[in-house]
Amino acid sequence: MRTKLAVVMVGLGLVLTAVPVRAHHAFAAEFDAKKPVKLRGTVTKMEWINPHAWIHIDVKGADGTTTSWMVEGGTPNTLFRRGLTKDSLAVGTEIVVDGYQAKDGSNRANGRDITFTDGRKLFLGASSSDAPYAGKDGEK
Amino acid sequence: MHWRSRVLLLSTAVVLMGLPAAAQTKTWTPPKTPDGQPDLQGTWTNATITPLERPADLAGKEFLTAQEAAEYEKRIGEANNADRRNLPPEADVGLAYNDFWYNRGTKIVGTRRTSLILDPKDGKVPALTPAAQQKQDALRAAARGHASDGPESRALTERCLLWPTAGPPMLPSFYNNNYQIVQSPGYVTILVEMIHDARVVPLDGRPHVSGKVQQWMGDSRGRWEGNTLVVDTTNFTDKTRFRGADEKLHLVEHFTRVDTDTIMYEFTVDDPTAFTRSWTAQVPMRRTASPVYEYACHEGNYAMAGMLAGARADEKAAADAKNGSK
Repeated sequence: MRTKLAVVMVGLGLVLTAVPVRAHHAFAAEFDAKKPVKLRGTVTKMEWINPHAWIHIDVKGADGTTTSWMVEGGTPNTLFRRGLTKDSLAVGTEIVVDGYQAKDGSNRANGRDITFTDGRKLFLGASSSDAPYAGKDGEK
Repeated sequence: MHWRSRVLLLSTAVVLMGLPAAAQTKTWTPPKTPDGQPDLQGTWTNATITPLERPADLAGKEFLTAQEAAEYEKRIGEANNADRRNLPPEADVGLAYNDFWYNRGTKIVGTRRTSLILDPKDGKVPALTPAAQQKQDALRAAARGHASDGPESRALTERCLLWPTAGPPMLPSFYNNNYQIVQSPGYVTILVEMIHDARVVPLDGRPHVSGKVQQWMGDSRGRWEGNTLVVDTTNFTDKTRFRGADEKLHLVEHFTRVDTDTIMYEFTVDDPTAFTRSWTAQVPMRRTASPVYEYACHEGNYAMAGMLAGARADEKAAADAKNGSK
């Protein structure tokens, strides 16, 4: 048992050290790894704010009731730089959010993976290779 | 072309490629501002995947070959891709969001050096002095179990106060790696996109402010040495703790425009009470067509309340479990 636990710990350590430091804050402090959620909803509002953008969606339950959720993204600056605008995610757009719910149980989730209903990723139309700084993001 | 000329050209090229970029600048003269300063103005990005410190698997290897560089860029690009979903949930939640929000660059620096640190030769931040190490251990011990007591106990980044890479010194991060330099008679101003600080650097030779004054970004004074802007910064606070530095940090930055589209930026960290020796890093800054956007971090920082609420929920769950087991 002790050996097994040690192996698991070492394995986890390797995985964790392979993950670079990310995002403006610790998402693991805000969202619960034990509460994965998959939400299919309609965009009601997009907050293009820093440090992180928030997408508001209405999710219809099987019983016909509607629940509002807030989904956390990243800095809008990156998207502005790629030519996206506040009109790029129109109200009424249907999206699928695969993420984790807030630890306090409120209807907030991180948009770990956001797609359109046909599986295409959001904002993919403006990939980094199309960016005005293409080829200038590193060195010659 | 005569073969001898070819050999000469070739060997000159080889010699030049081996030289640090700063040493090559003597052949290129930057334009001047109307008041006669070498012109550093414009918007610049320092995005690169070259890490500050040399990774352990590249120990002893200061430079990559072109082929190794391509392989490294591919490997790191895959490791950095936030769209992968192959990690356990505890790590996956930490990847935060889709890759399209990130903007960390895809290439290593042009010198193909394996770390931004060029001195010491091992590419590592030097060890802390025993006293500094002791202090750091004590701070960490005191913070243990209190990381979410209140907003003051969270990281400076999460409080939207200061970013460890926004500087000074300025280092690449995973997004917002953009800088605008504006020069006016007697001053150079550096606007940093990350956390949106503007650093106003006087060039008139005035002394630093009193040692009693400590500031988040220190107190910067600039001067020209030929075509290089040298910025000397002191009066830091002990709260920033850049890589373990304390309030005695003395930072010297060199900005040299080496061609139309590149500023070679070098900084030297000197802090004898914190580090066992001084250290120097070099970061190329490339001209970018993009403007610097506002990063009004505090304005929409819902995450602070979210993290504290998360900590309270964790505490309640732990208390409930304890009560339930009695």
